[in-house]
Formats: sequence, structure tokens, C-alpha cells
Amino acid sequence: MDLLTRVLFTLLGLFIILNWGLLMTAIMRKLTARVGKRVGIRWYQPWINLVKLYSNRNSISHGVMFQLGPVFRLLGGVGLVMFMPLIYGSELFTNFSFAGDLVIILYIKFFGMLGMALGAGEGGHPYSAIGVSRGLSQVTTVELPFTLAVIALAVQYNTLSITEIVAAQQGGILNWTLFTNPVATAAALLSMLGIFMHSPFDLHKAPNEIPIGPPTEYHSSYLGILRTNAAILHVIEAVLFMNLFFGGATSWPMLIVKTFLIYFISVFVGVVFPRFRIEQSVRWFLQVPLILGIVAIILIL
Amino acid sequence: MVEPVYIVASGLGIAFLLGLINKAGKNPAGGVMLLALAFMTLVSLQWMSSVVFAGNSPHYTFTAGFQPPFSISLMMGEKEAFFTTLVNLIGLLGGIYLWERFHKQGVNTMIVYLLLFVGLNVVVMTRDLFNLFVFLEISSVAITGLVLLQREHKAITAGFKYLVATGIISGILLIGIIFIYQYGGSLYIDDIIAANLTAVKGGMVAIFLVLIAIALELKPFPANGWALDLYQGAHPGVAALVSGAFASAMVFVLYKLLPIAGGQWQTMFATLGALTFVGSNLLGIKQNQSQRLLGYSSVGQIGLLVMVVGLAQFLGDRLTLIAYGLLISHYLAKAGLFWLAGVLDQDQIRNWAQLRKKPHLLALFGTFIFALVGFPPFPSFFAKWELIMQLSAGSGYVWVGLILLGSLLEAVYLFRWLGYALKLDHQQLPAINIQWHKIIPIVLAGVGLFVLGYLATPIASGTAGINFIPLAFIILIYFLDVLPARVKNIVVIAAMAYYGYLIMPGLEDVRFIFSVIFIIGGILTLLAGFAYKGRRKGFYPAALLMYAGLGQLLTAETMLQFFFAWELMTIGSYILIIRGKNSIRHGYSYMLFSVGGAYLMLAGFGVAYAGSGMADLAAIANITQLAGWAAVLIAIGFMTKTATLGLHIWLPGAHAEAESDVSPMVSAILLKAGVFGLVLLFIHMGGEAASGHPLFYVLGWLGAITALVANLSAVFQEDAKRLLAYSSIGQLGYILFAFAIMTHVGWLAGFTYTLNHFMYKAILFLIVGGIVLRLRTHYMYEMGGLIKRMPYSFIAVLIGIVALAGMPPLSGFAGKWLFYNAGIEKGWYFQGGVIFFSGIIAFLYLYRLIHSIFLGQLKDRHRRVKEISPWFLIPAYTLIMGIMVFSAKPGWILQPIGQAITQYFPSSPLRWQADGTAIGELGYWNGSQVMVIVMGVFILITLWLILLNRKAKKVEQFNIVYAGERPERPETTHISYNIYAGYNKAIGFLATPWISGLWQWIADGFRDLAVQIRRIYNGNGQTYALHLLTYVVVVYLITIGG
Amino acid sequence: MEHISLSQIAIVAGILLILIGLWAIISQRNIIKMIIGFSLFDTGIHIVMVGVGYVRGKTAPVLDEAVNVKEAARQIVDPLPQALVLTAIVIGLGITALMLAYALRLYQKKKTLDVKKFNDLKW
Repeated sequence: MDLLTRVLFTLLGLFIILNWGLLMTAIMRKLTARVGKRVGIRWYQPWINLVKLYSNRNSISHGVMFQLGPVFRLLGGVGLVMFMPLIYGSELFTNFSFAGDLVIILYIKFFGMLGMALGAGEGGHPYSAIGVSRGLSQVTTVELPFTLAVIALAVQYNTLSITEIVAAQQGGILNWTLFTNPVATAAALLSMLGIFMHSPFDLHKAPNEIPIGPPTEYHSSYLGILRTNAAILHVIEAVLFMNLFFGGATSWPMLIVKTFLIYFISVFVGVVFPRFRIEQSVRWFLQVPLILGIVAIILIL
Repeated sequence: MVEPVYIVASGLGIAFLLGLINKAGKNPAGGVMLLALAFMTLVSLQWMSSVVFAGNSPHYTFTAGFQPPFSISLMMGEKEAFFTTLVNLIGLLGGIYLWERFHKQGVNTMIVYLLLFVGLNVVVMTRDLFNLFVFLEISSVAITGLVLLQREHKAITAGFKYLVATGIISGILLIGIIFIYQYGGSLYIDDIIAANLTAVKGGMVAIFLVLIAIALELKPFPANGWALDLYQGAHPGVAALVSGAFASAMVFVLYKLLPIAGGQWQTMFATLGALTFVGSNLLGIKQNQSQRLLGYSSVGQIGLLVMVVGLAQFLGDRLTLIAYGLLISHYLAKAGLFWLAGVLDQDQIRNWAQLRKKPHLLALFGTFIFALVGFPPFPSFFAKWELIMQLSAGSGYVWVGLILLGSLLEAVYLFRWLGYALKLDHQQLPAINIQWHKIIPIVLAGVGLFVLGYLATPIASGTAGINFIPLAFIILIYFLDVLPARVKNIVVIAAMAYYGYLIMPGLEDVRFIFSVIFIIGGILTLLAGFAYKGRRKGFYPAALLMYAGLGQLLTAETMLQFFFAWELMTIGSYILIIRGKNSIRHGYSYMLFSVGGAYLMLAGFGVAYAGSGMADLAAIANITQLAGWAAVLIAIGFMTKTATLGLHIWLPGAHAEAESDVSPMVSAILLKAGVFGLVLLFIHMGGEAASGHPLFYVLGWLGAITALVANLSAVFQEDAKRLLAYSSIGQLGYILFAFAIMTHVGWLAGFTYTLNHFMYKAILFLIVGGIVLRLRTHYMYEMGGLIKRMPYSFIAVLIGIVALAGMPPLSGFAGKWLFYNAGIEKGWYFQGGVIFFSGIIAFLYLYRLIHSIFLGQLKDRHRRVKEISPWFLIPAYTLIMGIMVFSAKPGWILQPIGQAITQYFPSSPLRWQADGTAIGELGYWNGSQVMVIVMGVFILITLWLILLNRKAKKVEQFNIVYAGERPERPETTHISYNIYAGYNKAIGFLATPWISGLWQWIADGFRDLAVQIRRIYNGNGQTYALHLLTYVVVVYLITIGG
Repeated sequence: MEHISLSQIAIVAGILLILIGLWAIISQRNIIKMIIGFSLFDTGIHIVMVGVGYVRGKTAPVLDEAVNVKEAARQIVDPLPQALVLTAIVIGLGITALMLAYALRLYQKKKTLDVKKFNDLKW
């Protein structure tokens, strides 16, 4: 397959993911609102927001890093898409996953985080720095059980290639990691709550005390890029979990259903539980999720 | 040939004549006395050349023409020639030193002075026991006389105690002699040996009395309070003689007389020596009075020599090198130090900072200290090396342990002292009064140490040799210190480049990789030196010493060469580190850990030598017994340099407080010396074949925990350089972990980390160091917003932290990827998990670093601050290019490394496809493609954003949504202060510095012990006398029995 | 043993003197008394030396009419210990003198001869 085709199909995948992400966001917000006996937003509200943000004519800049922050952030999300095989069995939607394996996925995520942190930092608003410090603190322990689960998987399937991990789960629901390695899956899913950063793990944004945290200073198209990235990130992270634990997807509809359900888990938990303080959330991941991760490792020893 | 007896005759004769000459004035008298001493020295030297170098047989002189036992016989053999030379030479130098005092106190002092040396010469040469007694008494009385002629109260009390003690000792000796005569019928030493008196109980007691008396003359711990008082109370010129001449002669007497016990009691004397060496050095820890401290050291060194004499049977033909090497270093260094004490006239060691008013004297002081502790290139270094090797070969590991313990304790106080001299404030102290007659002997002692060290080298190192050209060059640079720093910088860089040009092409695989770090890294970090103005006194010799050590590590073939280079590097880095403004404590702890580590390494080499019989580094590969011990000892030695958890507490302060361009040297480059050592060790242990060794499992965990704890500690630092320092500990933890995996991919990861850490830590330390130079603060909460003022620094730091964090596409990711593959392949899941966790924690401190310095709000006082010096930026950006090349084309670097290590790790190497994709057992990765993809996406998004925001308006600093000033108490209200408070609450306890507490507890324990034990020296002459008697009784009960 | 020989008496007495001397050195606080102790100690040693060298029934090692020159070796006591004693006495004298000189200096400094008062240097 020539490079152009690959680029075009990757962009197509990116486009689908973005729109599905926006829609999914809307649905989830709607659901949350209904739980709280509110009406909620219209389903197309995210698109309206984006259009509004991108067409804002007023825009200011605090400096180069401030401008690069959203770029890095989006690079994190798009980078994930680039290296993630989306549809199993479809050569067209493996994107650029031939250039790197699961490890690159684990690390390219941080690019966005770092960019956000730096950009927000140059904004100079204290709330941004508070939000970033909280977010980073939480990330450290969130990632730990997840990594242990990933190691367990790599050993179980004897590969770090996502495509091969998905391949190994084909041939029936019982071949999914969810059933072949339930402990690792449990550890990873608990971590996922922190990865999606919904309540109770949304202290970094803490709408009441530090209005929206790191992006405080961002507006207009900067915020547009951040919103775009958020939509992509939600889906692609769900895709990662889908690929690792839920048998991957052999078609777009399957991908959409599975990512919806995976993302729904975190929304569901968020609706039920109130927000943790930072030391509580940091410790929380070092308790049950970490123990599950360790058990997952012990099982493969 | 001048008969040896003329030494005695001339001394005695002139002593009598001096009274007459005095009529002509004091100066002529003094001149004649010095001439007499010079003549005596010449005669000894002449015998030395005849007996030692020309190989003539020993010469005997018999009084009155009779044969012994009917006459007194003097012997002039190899050893006698050596010892009389020592004695007479110090007599000559000491005479010059005391010139002024002689002048003041008249001819009587000169007569007594000459008698002392007559006595000592006879004591060395005589073969007659009673004769020995008589001249020993003459010497003792002469010493007391010299002490008495000084009018100070403390000298008089000390002299009296000395007199009481030596009186008792001579009584014991005399009783012993008379009973030996009764049982043996002769006082001729050879007859006594032949008579084998130990067979009879009475004879045994007699011999015991004689030998114990000699032992007591050697001031054994703890029955030596009188001697310490003398060292403290006497004029330093006299103390130098007691320590240099008298003690040397007595050591020889012990050696001469020990055979009369027929091979018994050697172990006992070795034990007594060891007790003295360890005990005396332990008590030295608490001592702050300079001359008394020298006394403790002197007593300790003599204890070590007694030990050597007692252990002679282990040492074989190396005895000469060992004994002479130790003796001569002690002799020159201690005399030099006592003389220096006389020049300074400062009672407290804290006040030796006065030396900084005369830097050359400071250099001499340093020379003496390093010679005493046994650093290269001094004779004691080679002697200690051989001593440990030979003792190990004889399985005398307990002795090895005691020697190293004592040496370490000695280093504890000597380096405390050196630190004071180097660092404490000297502004308040008076100027040094330079009198040339006092300086000349000191200079000669210092020069003598260097020359003798050079001469000892071929004896110790055999055919392998040691390259002294770098050292000679360093001495040259030392004398060029008056030049401006920039000129010296050019010279030094050129020298480094030339050195690299000489050695690098000859190096293979692993050594070549490290040569890139040591040599090229060295040149790059030296570039930053152009930012400094003035002369930077002392910087260049130290820096070169460190780099010379590193360079010689690379070319080392034998264990001795390696250790030599290692110690050179330690000296240089110590001086570099302690140059920092607040580094006195940190330099000190660095040195102690280095010395401790070096001694463990020495012990390990000893085991290796004993187990293999080889002197090459390859010995480690051929150890037949105790191989595990050798590996563990050597590994711990190296880990003090890599600052592995538990041995790391010296590092944060040392690296943080060092000068701005020194921090990158010691952090990015010096730490790799430990890594290099470990790599060599692991290779010699057998590479892949040894990978099952439990040591590696332990090291793997150690590395992982080090990474975790150090990274966590870095998160909570307020000081930018301290943060980077903790980060270095953590990174070195990764490196240890990677190499401990002991597989092909693991080692690739190790080398990747080593190279990367070298590059990004040098960048970060250079930039942060440059900023510290500009802002004059280390504290991050006092910085902020500097991106506007220092954009180039910001970019460099940004690239540095992205690489450090291991984010693709930069080269740090190569390390992470290799880690995953290697760790999982090896089955080290938990360790790998810990490592990964540490890696994420690294984000916290990296964010803190870049945010607190560059982002946020610019401080008012920094509004006009300039970009850091280009001389810091140039090396940093050079290294950034290195990182970029490594990131874009990882195969260029990893493939050759892979080939180089295939010989040690043939199994499951990384496979490389033609397009640059690396394929491991588990995963795959193409660095170039990742780079292209990420950069492509980055550029596209950036362009898009620019398109969207082309009209964005630049706003001022406080134009933010919630613009408002903060109160001006930055450390409490600044966001960067205690930024991770919540995180600290959650898991900060993991970073509690309990290890520092542990070491503090150990140090306090030793100090308290010293305080308790030294109470026995209550200053009362009677108590000291009681100590002597008790000592005799106790040793008697132990050796001969009740 | 019916006859206790002279030399044995001398040796026992000498050793007693040595012990008394040592006791004085260690326990007497007055420096002059300590020096006297030293003299006793020395004297004791000298007596022991003479005792060791003495041989019953032999004569002094002086070649006069009482001694046949040819038989000298069998008739005289061993001359060496006596020579040694002479030397030792001289040395002992010198040391005693030196000690007294020190005592004088010490007294001049502190106007006391109590040895316990001279413990400025310690530890």
C-alpha cells in the first residue's frame, strides 16, 4: 500500500473517531443530566461549541509555549491514533502501527499531558499550575496498575504488538482477555477510571475551586483544539482498552459499540461517586487496583 | 668507603666540639652541626648505594678488633643503610627547620640534637642488645632534653610524662636484657637468635620483656597517652623528629629483634599493631587539636607498620616495597605536616584555613594528606595495594578488614581536616609568616613523596607500568595557575583532545563507548569554563586530574592500573566538588563514601588476586575461590560512585552545591565511571554465562528501588540542582537495573540509558547551572517566567526533559522500549513495574523543573536578566544535536553497540530490518519512522494553529483571566513552593530520608565510641604509667599465660 | 633448700625494690616522691642485674694476684653484668637528674608538685 493511501485512510479514521467522540460526549452528558433530573444539552451541542470556538475572532497569546501547548496536546491524541491499529483484519485501518508497538502507545500519551502542562504554565495563571500538579500527581499512580496489567498481557500473549494481541483474542468471546485474564482486566479497568479523569478523579479540573484547571487561560481556537483532542482521546483510549481486553473490533460498528460501552463504565462511576481529594485518589490507586495488578503479575510468574 | 662507625664518631665528636665552636658565634656552630648531619647523611647514602644498589654484602664493624660477643658490633646492611639514611636525612632537614630555634637557644640544644641522631644511628646499626639499650636511652633523653629546652608549660608537662613512661619502659627492657643474658649467655643478637631461648620458660619471659619494651616504645594503643601528649606539647619540629626519625628507627628495632622469639608472637605483634592502627585512628575522629591529631595519626601509622612487621611471613618478597612504601610516606608526610603545623602556629584544625593565604602550602598540605591516606601517585598507595594483595593471597582476610577499617577511620579525620583547610573562612586569620628555613624542608618532603611515588611505580606495577605523562602535565598546569582561566581552558581542552586522539582509536567496544562520554563529554563540559573570568585557581589541575583518571580507567589492563586511575579520578573529583560555595560537608561525605568504596573494591581485587593469582583485570574471570565475595565487594565499591540507594546520600549535596560547570562534569560524566566499572565487572564475571548469579537479581531490585526512591525525592525538592541530582541517582538506578538484566537487550538498554543520561543530564545541568550563575539562587520558587528572558535555555531544557521522560520521538524512548522488551523477556515483572512507576514520577519533577523556572510569572527582579552565557549554551546545543541524531537514527548507535556486546551476550539479540525497524522477542519499533510521523503531525497541527491564530494579540504578563498580584512572600505563597503537597501527603513517606539517618547514626556511633574511649587519656602521667604496666601484664597473660 | 644463696636474696630484694618503686611512681602524687620511686625502681633493677651475674665461690673479675691469669675464666664471676650495671647506673643518674630538672620547671610554672595538676594535655 502506498504512503498516500495510508495517509488518507488514517485521516479518514481520525475523522470518524473525532465525530464519534463528539457524539459520544454529547450522549454521555445527556445521560448524566438525566440522572440529575436535568434536561441536558442537545446532541449536536459539541459541534456547535467547536464551530464557535474556532471562529472566535478575539484571541490573545501569552507566548510561544502557550501556543504550542494545544499543539502538543493534540499531538498526543493524534499520535495515539497514528500508532493504533483500529480495525482488526483491515489493512487500511492499521494506520502507522508498523512503526511501533504497545510501548509507544503508552508513552506517546504523555506528550499531550506535557504539552498541556507547559502551555498552561506559560499562561501564568496559578490555577493552571495547581491543576497540572494535581493531574500529574494522580497520573503516576493511575498508570501503575495499568502497566502491570499490560506486562501481564505481554507475557500472556508473548508479544508487545497490539495487532497480535487482538489476533490472539479472535474466535469467540471467551478468547477475550476479559475472560482469559480477568484479574489483569480488572486492574486495567480500575486504572481506566483515572485515565478518563471523570469524577471521582477529576480534581485537576475541579470546576468549583479552580475553574477547569489547566485550560483556564485557553480560549477561542486554543480551546477548540483542546476540545477536539478531548473527543479524539476519549475514543482512542477506549479503543486501546478494546484492543487489549475486549477482543478488538473487526468493523466500525463493532468499534463504536464497544468504545461506547467502555467509556460508559467511567461515566457510570462518575455519576455515582463524588470527587476525591488528591491524596485520596493517589492512594486509592495504590490499594485495590495495585493489588489486582500485582496478583495479575503473580499469576503469570 | 667511609666506615659506618664514622657516622657515630662524627656526630659525637662534633657534639663535643660544638662547645668550643660556640665561642666563634652561634651561626658557625649551627653551620657545623648541619655539616655534621649532612656528613652523616652522606655516609648512609653512600652505604645505601653500595649495599642496596651495587648489591655488596653487608658490612660489619667490630669495636676494639674483637669478634662478638666480646665486642660491640655494628652492621651496615641493606636495611640499616636505608634506615640510617632516613634518620639522618630527617635530622638534616629538621636541623634546617629548627635553625632559628637553635640560634635562640644556644649550643646546648645543638649538642642534644646531635646526640639524638647519634643515638638513633647506633640503635639502627647495633647488633648488641645492651648497646641498643644504652643508645635508646640516649635518644630518649635527648628527646626529653629537646622538649625541655622549650619554655612552654604544655611542653614541660608533656616531657615529664614522656620521661616517666620511657623510664618505666627502659626498666622493663633492662630487666629483659639481663635475663636474656642469664639464659643465653650473650648479648649479641645473632647469638640470642641461635640460642632459641623460647624453649625455656625463663628465657621466654626475658624475651617477652625485651620485645614488649620495644613495642611500648612504639606507642601502642591504648597505653600511649604519654606519647600523644608529647606530640601535642612538643615543638612541632621536635614532634616531627619523634614521629619521623625515632618511630622509624624503633620499627626497625622491632623487626631486628623479632627473630629472637623464634617465630613466635608474630601474630601477637600484628594484633597489637592492628589494635593500635584501628584504635588510634578511631580516637582521631574526635580530635580537633592539630598536633595531637597528627599524634593519633602517627601512632596509627606506626601501628600499621608493626602489623606489617608481624605479618612479614605473608608478604614474601613484597615486604620491602610494602614496608618501605608505608614507612616513607608516613615519614615524609608526617614530618611535613608537623613542620607545617609549626609554620602556621594554629592550634585548632579549623584554623588551618589559614593555609589558603599561601596556596602552594595548601597544595603541600593536600599532598601530605593524600599520601597518608594512601592515594596515588604516592608510595603508600602502592604499598597498601601490595599489602592487601599479599595478605589476601595468604587468606589473611581478617587483617585486610582491619587495615581497611583503620585506613577508613584515618581518612575520616584527615579529610575533615583537609576540608576545613579548603573551605572554612580564612579572612579573620592572620597572615602566614614565611621563613624559608622552615619552608624548604616541607617542600622537599612534598617533592620527595612525588619522586618516590614515581620510583615505586615500576616496582609495584611490574611490566604493565603506569603512564605518568598526564600527571606530569597536571603538575605543569598547576604551576601555570597564574594564567587567566581562558588561556588555561584552551590549553586544557587541547590537551584533552590530544589525549583522546591518542587513546580513543586504540579502544574497543565497551571501552570506546565510555571514552566518548569521558573524553568528548569532558571537552564539552570544559567549554563552559570560558564563561568564567579571572584565574579560577585550582580548578584546572583538579579537573584534569579527574579526566586523567577517567582516561586511564579506559586503558587500564591490570587491576593496579585500574585502581590507580580510579583513585586519581577520586582526588580530582573531590577537589572539584568541594570547590562549591557550600560544599564543605558534601565534599567530605563524597570523599568518605569514595574512600570506603575504594577500600571495598581493593578488598575485592585482593580476593580476585588470591583466587586467581593474576594481576590482570581478567583475574576476575578466573577466580577459583570466593568468587562471589570478590564480585560483591567490587560491585559495592562501584556502586558508591553510581550512588545506588543506601550509598547515595553524598550525591545530592555534592552535585547541587558544585559550581555550575562542575555539576555536569560530576553528574553526567563522573557517575559513568561507576557504570563503566560495573560493566567491566559483569563482563569479566562471564557475561551471559553468569546471568544466573544471584548478585544480579539483588542488583536489579536495588536499581529499581533506587530509581523509585530517588525520583520520588526529586519531586519534593525546592532546589533546582538538587532536583537534578536526585534525578541522577534515579537514572543511575535505571542503568544499574538494565545492566543487571544481563541479556543482550538489557545491556542495549543500559548503554542507551548511559549515553542518554550523559547527554540530557549534561544539558540540564549546564542550563540550570548557567541560570544559577545569572540569578544567584538555586531555589525554583525564586524563579519563574524566564522563558521570556532565556528562550534558548528553555528550548534546551524542554528537549532535555522530553528525552529524559522517554517520550517518543526522542532518544529517551529507545531506552524505555528496550526496557520493556528486556524486562519482560527476563521475567522481571515487578522490578519492571517499579521502574515504570519511577519513570512516571519523573514527569512530576520534570514538570516542576521546567514550569517553576521558565513558566508562570516572571519575577520583578528578573525583568532585565540576560540569557545565560553562550559558553553554557554551546555545549548544551552540541549535545542536543547528539540527542537528535540518536533519536532520528537509533540504529546508527545501537547496531554497533549490539555488535560489540554480542561477544558477551550472543543470545537473542535485537534484529534490525533494512528500513531501520528494530525487532525484539516481543515488540518492534522504528525510531526513524516514529520521528517522521510525530514531526509530521506536529508540523501540520502547528501550521493549522498558526492559521487559526494568526491574529492573536500578544498580551502582557498579568493580563490573565484572574490577573492579580501575589503577596511578596514567595516561599509560602508561590505555587511552585511545595507544589506536590497532596502527593507528598499520599506517598511522600516513601521518600523519608531514613538512610541518611542511618549513616548519621553510624557516624555518631563511631564518634561517641571515640569520645568514650579517649577518656582513658586523662592527662595524668601516673595513669599513663599504670596503662603501660597494665598493658604489659595483659599482653603477658595472653601470650605466655598465667 | 638449706642455703639460700646470696644471689637469690639479691634478686628477691631487687624485685621487691622494683615493685616498691613502681608503686611509688603510680600512687604518689608528689613529683619528688615519684622521682624517688624511680630511683628505687632503678636501684632494684641494678641489684637484680648484679644478682644475676654473681656466681657463688668465685672472685671479683679483677686480674690481680688472687687470680691466676690462665684460670681466670673459671675463677672470676662474669664481668659483663657488672659492666652493664655501671652503665645502667650512669644512665639512671642522668634520667633522675633530668626528672629533677623537669620537676623544677613544673614547680616554677604552677607552684605545686602535685602531679594531678599537670593534666592540661589530654584526650
